Amino acid sequence: MALFGGVLLAAGIMLYLLEPVLSGRSAPLYRGGDEHDESAARRRVALAALRDLEYDRATGKVDGEDYERLRTELSREALVQLEPEPTQGDSAVASASRALEDEIATIRRALREGLQCVGCRRLNDFGAKYCGGCGERLRTARATRSKSRNGERS
Amino acid sequence: MTILGETALWIALPVAFWGTAVSFAGGRTGRSELVLSGERTAYALTFLLLVASLGIVAAFLGDRYDYWYVANYSNRELDTYFKVAGLWAGQRGSLVFWTLLLSVFTTIAVYQNRARNREFMPYVAGTLLAILAFLLVVLLFAGVNPFERLGFTPANGRGLNPQLQNYWMTIHPPTLYLGFTAFAVPFAFAVSALLTNRLDSRWIAVTRRWILLSWFFLTMGIIFGMRWAYEELGWGGYWFWDPVENASLLPWLTATAFLHSIQIQQNRGMLKVWNMALVVGTFLLTIFATFLTRSGLIESVHSFAENLKIAYIFLGFMGGTAAFCAVLVVHRLPSLRSENQIQSFLSRESAFLFNNLMLVGIAFAVMWGTLFPLITEGLLGQKINVGPPFYNRVNLPMGLILLALMGIGPVIAWRRASRRNLRKNFVLPCGMAAATLAGLWLAGVRHGMALTTFVLAAFVMTTVVVEFWKGTKARARIAGEGYLVALRGLVRRNQRRWGGYVVHAGVVILFTGLAGSAFDVVQVHEMLPGESATIRSAFGHEYDLTYESLSHSRPRASDDVRENDWRWTALLTVRQGGEQVAVMRPERRFYPVMEEASTEVGIRSTVLEDLYVIPREVDLESGTERATFEFKVLPLVPWIWSGGVIVAVGTLVGLWPAAGAQSAARTSGGRRPASRLAASDAAGRAA
Repeated sequence: MALFGGVLLAAGIMLYLLEPVLSGRSAPLYRGGDEHDESAARRRVALAALRDLEYDRATGKVDGEDYERLRTELSREALVQLEPEPTQGDSAVASASRALEDEIATIRRALREGLQCVGCRRLNDFGAKYCGGCGERLRTARATRSKSRNGERS
Repeated sequence: MTILGETALWIALPVAFWGTAVSFAGGRTGRSELVLSGERTAYALTFLLLVASLGIVAAFLGDRYDYWYVANYSNRELDTYFKVAGLWAGQRGSLVFWTLLLSVFTTIAVYQNRARNREFMPYVAGTLLAILAFLLVVLLFAGVNPFERLGFTPANGRGLNPQLQNYWMTIHPPTLYLGFTAFAVPFAFAVSALLTNRLDSRWIAVTRRWILLSWFFLTMGIIFGMRWAYEELGWGGYWFWDPVENASLLPWLTATAFLHSIQIQQNRGMLKVWNMALVVGTFLLTIFATFLTRSGLIESVHSFAENLKIAYIFLGFMGGTAAFCAVLVVHRLPSLRSENQIQSFLSRESAFLFNNLMLVGIAFAVMWGTLFPLITEGLLGQKINVGPPFYNRVNLPMGLILLALMGIGPVIAWRRASRRNLRKNFVLPCGMAAATLAGLWLAGVRHGMALTTFVLAAFVMTTVVVEFWKGTKARARIAGEGYLVALRGLVRRNQRRWGGYVVHAGVVILFTGLAGSAFDVVQVHEMLPGESATIRSAFGHEYDLTYESLSHSRPRASDDVRENDWRWTALLTVRQGGEQVAVMRPERRFYPVMEEASTEVGIRSTVLEDLYVIPREVDLESGTERATFEFKVLPLVPWIWSGGVIVAVGTLVGLWPAAGAQSAARTSGGRRPASRLAASDAAGRAA
């Protein structure tokens, strides 16, 4: 009985392994859409670093010259990786890059809204509640948002 | 079932060789039917090894003592739970189990990549199947076949080593094995990247989760092992720098270094050769761990009997793999050139590099200490062991530097940080560290190493908390969200970063727990029933312990092998401030058949410390029931286990599938990225 089971097992396994060779059934070796686009991956890394930099700016970890220098370097790297335009690149990586860009744009917009005085246009330090130039109360993104929501309702 | 299991093991060997050959041949020649056959081999091997493992479990459950392995690791009295765990209790079964786990991971890797990363897969499958073939050769030809018959059937088995009859021991080895075997997948991808010359960031991106998974299991396996030693070995410690403990620590150290250094490669295109060395080195160290245990060349509480045949096969495999990978790396050196250089000493790259140097430095020291007996035996003809003092003296300073770097790395900027930036970010953590130092000094703490650990722990913990607080506050303000929602969104946006911070917090708590050992209080008391003793902890808590009574069973070894153990149990009550807070029942067990003894210690845990009672000796002859106890108060030990839990949580955060980049992309429409980035950048400049 055990011998019969063993022979059956061996035969089954052999058939399973040889079937692709005998029938010509194959596994994909390369897939066009699967091709890794190093440029897209690099761009995503640069954008993620840029996003983190914006957060670091927002949290006060990086400021002034450091911020400007790093932003210039990272933006240049992200833009350099655009050439040539990835036409058949990894779609997941490309869409991740787009999501990152949206996030960066959102942070920058919020920072502008929160930091730039609507009266005298001065760019204040993060965390400031009042403008250092004219003393006007600065708006935060939350305040701006709720204000616009109220406006929509009325 | 057992015979079928043995047959399956024999069938597995040619199958593994077939799979290895057709996978490499298919990749080389581009014949996709061979590649498919190779990938099917992974599934077939998992099935065969599952049948073989079930065959071993069936032999244990059926008390088949005609099998050498069952007769030596089980007996009729053993609980069913431990009979199932018998699969990994001994050398032979654990090798099968190891092979099974590797085949399962191979199957997962092959299935996961059935429609992606296809150019890597023939070589990935080929590499993993080659490792499986090697393990099967060991199993079948190195005298460790678990299905070997005795030629007669003993009435009962020898039983399971009493120290292994513990809950933690049933989960500690499988967890470590999971960590060891999971790391074979990143190694296979690295080999595949070298063979195909696809040495961009892809293989790292593909294997990041595997590395993290392996690291998670290694960490948990080591902590479970510490917990087992703490509960079962009965000496009040959790780490003894035992060679096999060291062998599990070595791949953990290099894997940790690798986890950090791949970030430099991904972010800056640097350290490519170093990363290759780390991934190959870590894989070899996982093999080294099993070599050390199974060859029996170095004495350890974990090791099995000396088996030189296994030693030579393992050495050959490790040497061959190292040479093959070295040749591949040298051959691909032009593709592994660094794209950037470290711009400044004050940068995150720099901090990560130091972190790598420290981790690898500790790994070298541990390796040196572990192999020292073998080296001295070769040179001087006698084994000389180095003990915990060597490891502590060498590793403690490096460990403390690592702790400091854990606080510096996350806060310092990539590329180049200005001094002003450093001042701004380190004022609060340094302030907290100084306050901790002052507080502890005033409280009378004078132990240098412990004091340094606590101060650095305060520094690192402050940086972690501040990072979370500032990040949450910024996100709440930017997105107009409540703090809890903002915290969740923050973590989901970059799980690797924030999960990493949680891991750092866990490690800090764990280090603090380890440093608590500087303030252990130990007393030995010989007591008669009714007598009491008082012990005062470093925190000033006083425990009054009363030896109430003793119970014992079968105080002599019986000729009947079924009467396989006898024990004595003491009953102690613990009072604090006159109020009873705990009842303890420490116990000594003796196993005459195995000629072994084990200690079941009494442990009472609180948030700050453990009261630990070790039963030493009892006088049953005179009828007085006089017993000797060792009482210990071990400060901050519970923090070690809590730290381990936090490390696990942090790693799981990093492992959790990311909040879909795709879903974010769905909302972003199909605009061209270039224009939006440029517009955003221009708007930023205008602001």
